[in-house]
Amino acid sequence: MAPFLDYLIYQLSEAGTVAATVASTLSRRFNYDERSAYLFLMPVMAVLVLVAVFPIFYSLYLSFFDLKLTRPHRVPFVWFDNYLTLFADELFWGSVLRTVYFTLISVTAITVLGLLIALLLNETFRGRRFISAMLLVPWAIPYVANALMWKWIYDSGYGALNGALLQMGFIDKYMVWLGDADKTIPLIANAFIWKEVPLAAILLLVTLKSIPDDLYRAAKVDGATLMRRFIHITLPSLRPGFALVFIFETMIAIRHFDLFFILTEGGPADTSHVLAWEIYVETFRNLSFGTGAALAYIMAIVTFFLAYSIIRTVGKRL
Amino acid sequence: MKNIAHTRNPLSSDKERYRTKSRLSERGRAMFIFVCSVLLLAYLLAPITWLVSSSFQTEAEIVSVPPHWIPEEPTTKNFEAIFFQEQKEVTYESRKQVDPVSGGYIPSTAKNLLPALRNSFVVACLVVIFNLLVGVPAAYAMAKIRFLGRNSSVYFILTTRVIPDIALVVPFFLVIKNLGLLDNILSLVLTYLAVTVPFTVFILISYFESLPDELDKAARVDGCSRFRTMTHVYLPLALPSLVAVVLFTFLTSWNEFLLALMFTQTPASQTVPIIVASFTSDFTISFSFINAAGVVAIIPPIIIAIMFEKYIVSGLTVGAVKG
Repeated sequence: MAPFLDYLIYQLSEAGTVAATVASTLSRRFNYDERSAYLFLMPVMAVLVLVAVFPIFYSLYLSFFDLKLTRPHRVPFVWFDNYLTLFADELFWGSVLRTVYFTLISVTAITVLGLLIALLLNETFRGRRFISAMLLVPWAIPYVANALMWKWIYDSGYGALNGALLQMGFIDKYMVWLGDADKTIPLIANAFIWKEVPLAAILLLVTLKSIPDDLYRAAKVDGATLMRRFIHITLPSLRPGFALVFIFETMIAIRHFDLFFILTEGGPADTSHVLAWEIYVETFRNLSFGTGAALAYIMAIVTFFLAYSIIRTVGKRL
Repeated sequence: MKNIAHTRNPLSSDKERYRTKSRLSERGRAMFIFVCSVLLLAYLLAPITWLVSSSFQTEAEIVSVPPHWIPEEPTTKNFEAIFFQEQKEVTYESRKQVDPVSGGYIPSTAKNLLPALRNSFVVACLVVIFNLLVGVPAAYAMAKIRFLGRNSSVYFILTTRVIPDIALVVPFFLVIKNLGLLDNILSLVLTYLAVTVPFTVFILISYFESLPDELDKAARVDGCSRFRTMTHVYLPLALPSLVAVVLFTFLTSWNEFLLALMFTQTPASQTVPIIVASFTSDFTISFSFINAAGVVAIIPPIIIAIMFEKYIVSGLTVGAVKG
């Protein structure tokens, strides 16, 4: 990699000279406002090119090499082999399916629960302020704390879930939770939902608040029942909010890593081996950076498509 | 009841009936809202309460079946281990000396949480400062100055906002390794900028846009430079959005796990989430101690969230709608 970096530094210094020339031309071409705008934008652009644009293209470049840290001195260029190997790999497709499964149940539950909470907080009642402050608690804590909290709740020996269910008489002996292959992903999703619901609720609440009261008053005068008002006014008006929550949470869910790392490490027997975990294993356990970069690139492209749909649906308000 | 009311005052029967009905439905509504609120609060707070409760339990108590929901003999031993314990040399013997019944299973690495708190704090503050330094001028320019390429700059920042952090890990790792910054908190500051700066710029742009353009013109007519207009006219007015930016950036850096996991290796640079996570994978450590570490990690964010609830909610909505 070192020759590549040398080349890069050389190119950057070349670019510096070019930039100086361009700058002097610019000062003649543009007026004061434009020049100061470019000057003000310079730091942010420099930072973003350095920490976002360059890495994303560097990762595309890396994904064409068979780069393994176990043999750093032989790095053959392999075209699309990393991608082809992945596409022929059952574990990869399995991880894609598990990611889709995790994302589907999480996003559905987050949207429904978020809507219920938003409807509650849209009413005026005593203690509403307190509840909306408490709503931020799950949102604010680190995912690591969230993960260890649920790991302890799900604990098969002494956990709270077993204890509570036993005391309430739902089960007659302690059960295995995270270790049960059928329950692993739904249980991880539950921890994820608990942490993500507040954001969804807040976004939907803002959309609810933007619905004009006149609509409801007019419907009331026309004799529409509560249910009909909900179906014909509230739900359609919430569409932008739903789109926002749906796309946002999907983007967060498909890349989610922290809970999988602490709760199950992809286990038991690969039942929670999702795409994000696959990237981690390929890169930092198998030290196969080329494949890791290819995987990460697939993830980035999927996210970009989702982002494009954000711009299409809600970006118009920009 | 209704019939009695009717017969007693037939003249206002319609009105009366309407009122009784609305009063009844009013009470029903209040009850319903109360029940929902209690359920919601239980959902939000029960897991955290259990985390806190078990962090005050002894090793003997935490393994009781069924669990003690409220500690019967609360102990602060776990927290003492984090904040006051002398650093002990761990040998095979000293490890065996720990008496499990009296609340042992506290790792010798408990003390690492203190430097981790410092690291987390330093990283978060540096990320906040850099964010403000690069974010404010950019947001001001994009909100208040008309120039060629303004829209494309906005879209560019919008695009960088959605790059997943996990896609940046591989290239970051190689670059940081080559720069010799592995296990250095600077690597965290640098990479956290990728996940915070776009969001910062969006919150600020929308706030600057909501401030009147006339201020800009007036200041310019009075002979202020662009820079002075920004620092002396708009910055004082934009204080609420600056608070939101500081809070978000701080919380994001404080909570960040993935990048810190990749780039830190020793307590010299490890942040709170990493140290806490390292406890969870060790089966010899008591869960009451792990939970105490968890409590230490969640206290600062919870205080921030509750104290600045209003700023956070407005920032979240703006940031999401725009980005």
